[in-house]
Amino acid sequence: MTDKFYEFFCPVKVIAGKAALEHIPYELSGLAAKRPMIITDKGVRAAGLLDPVVSACEESGLDIVSIYDDVPPDSSKAVVRDIAGIYRSEKCDSIIAVGGGSAIDTAKAVNILVSEGGDDIAKYSGAGVLKHPLKPFFVVPTTAGTGSEVTAVAVIADTEKHVKLPFTSSFLLPNAAIIDPRMTLTLPPHITAATAMDALTHATEAFTCMAKNPLSDAYATAAIKKITGNLLKVMDSPKDADGRLELAQASTMAGIAFSNSMVGLVHALGHATGAICHLPHGLCMSLYLPYVLEYNLETIREPLGELLLYLDGADVYAATPASRRAEAAISAIRRMRDALYKRCELPRTLKETGKVLESQLDDIARAALDDGAIMFNPKEVSLDDAKAVLARAWA
Amino acid sequence: MLAKRIQPMFFQARRLYVELMFQVMGRALQAVSEIDETVQQEANALPEGFLFEMMVMPDGARLIVEHTGNGRFRYLGDSAPRAVDLSIQFKHIAHAFLVLSFQEKTSVAFANDRMLVDGDISRAIRMTRILNRLEAFILPKLIAKRAVKEYPENIHLPEKLLNAARIYLKVATNFVETVKA
Ligand SMILES: [Fe+2]
Repeated sequence: MTDKFYEFFCPVKVIAGKAALEHIPYELSGLAAKRPMIITDKGVRAAGLLDPVVSACEESGLDIVSIYDDVPPDSSKAVVRDIAGIYRSEKCDSIIAVGGGSAIDTAKAVNILVSEGGDDIAKYSGAGVLKHPLKPFFVVPTTAGTGSEVTAVAVIADTEKHVKLPFTSSFLLPNAAIIDPRMTLTLPPHITAATAMDALTHATEAFTCMAKNPLSDAYATAAIKKITGNLLKVMDSPKDADGRLELAQASTMAGIAFSNSMVGLVHALGHATGAICHLPHGLCMSLYLPYVLEYNLETIREPLGELLLYLDGADVYAATPASRRAEAAISAIRRMRDALYKRCELPRTLKETGKVLESQLDDIARAALDDGAIMFNPKEVSLDDAKAVLARAWA
Repeated sequence: MLAKRIQPMFFQARRLYVELMFQVMGRALQAVSEIDETVQQEANALPEGFLFEMMVMPDGARLIVEHTGNGRFRYLGDSAPRAVDLSIQFKHIAHAFLVLSFQEKTSVAFANDRMLVDGDISRAIRMTRILNRLEAFILPKLIAKRAVKEYPENIHLPEKLLNAARIYLKVATNFVETVKA
């Protein structure tokens, strides 16, 4: 009898493509929502990305009742409480998050408070605390990377206690994710590159870590193919709407993959580096990905070798002997990083970032061992192992 | 209740086995924390008085240990003096049995959604590392390799301290073979 077991769950409706934003009013009315609140950040507003969302709604006679545009990059308990207060006083009945990881996580947490009541979000921290569906919730991602529109998790900082509060519940998933190429068209080159590498890492780790399963595998490989086929094209012509849409879809697909099969050491190291050196998440992913794959190599030779087909195409895959495919897959990722470095100087080593001190590596290694993602890395990681990977990623 | 009528012996035996293994692990955790530096270092990062629980949902067998400081654990049996700080909960006794009979690695059980963590995730990871180390200690090497991701190189300890646990385990292994057959 097989000892394999898995679960796969993604109830999020995906609304993707040209004029996708214009579907929002219809979707809201389908859930009897009439008074939506938008949660976003200053960057999104400054880039003019709110305008198409707001006008898509107003043209259909749906008024956006309130816009909160001050979500900070690391959202906190206080921010969540404040937004929930506005939601209540304005008598809103639904939430539209427009933005990247932080705006989406904040909106998820606000949805908990306005649905369950109270002012202290910490009360709902943990797994499986929520027992009921929340208010109608829609997500419009403006970066093609985090995949937060399809993950059942949110992380909010408790700034007084200096801890990050995790929230896990399938009720955090939005009713729909709206993926419109207009939302990522103006993303600057280095963010385009870093967020796409985040998505590539989600897919690669989903495909090589412990909780991989046939359904998440399908999403992961399809996402990788879209990223390798479109990322450099978009870097060279940023206004390529078709290419942008492909990257945005790849990000959502990679999100579906990893939220059902988890990530591993790349994310553990990345979270630790983000917390200690304040480097953007996508950049950390790009930086660590090849070194971690090399560390895991003997445990993941087979699945990693399979990924060569999606990373480098059928010709290269066919011409590479099966025993060399895993190494060739890592080389393909390295070539992608070199190409991105040439176009926008996305750092490939810790030294190249100019923001990490060699003396911080031990702290990063220690923090990585405490990160949740390390549980699902296919190879057991000791403190010395983590230090060795960091030493290789240094320069 | 229907299932109970069909295979009463099996279900009762499995429940007893899980209860027994929780006791074995609780005592072994205390013993290992008294002698092994690696475990002490891991445990030392936990606050003093930290209560760790492993249990079977909804209200089945449980194991509770307390960190009494300096990396030492004390086994408290199946009742906690106050609310526990970290709880690892098996969704079903069948899943607890898979893990506690070393047919499924703890990390695989997490990956397979067999159990939930209630509490700080980084502490859950720390406790998983300690449990892995414990399993490597008390299990014959062959079974330990099945139970943990990697068998540690640096295991040296006084044999007699863990003999008692090994005797339980002999019973346990026989039991597994009987029910698997
Ligand atoms: Fe990520």
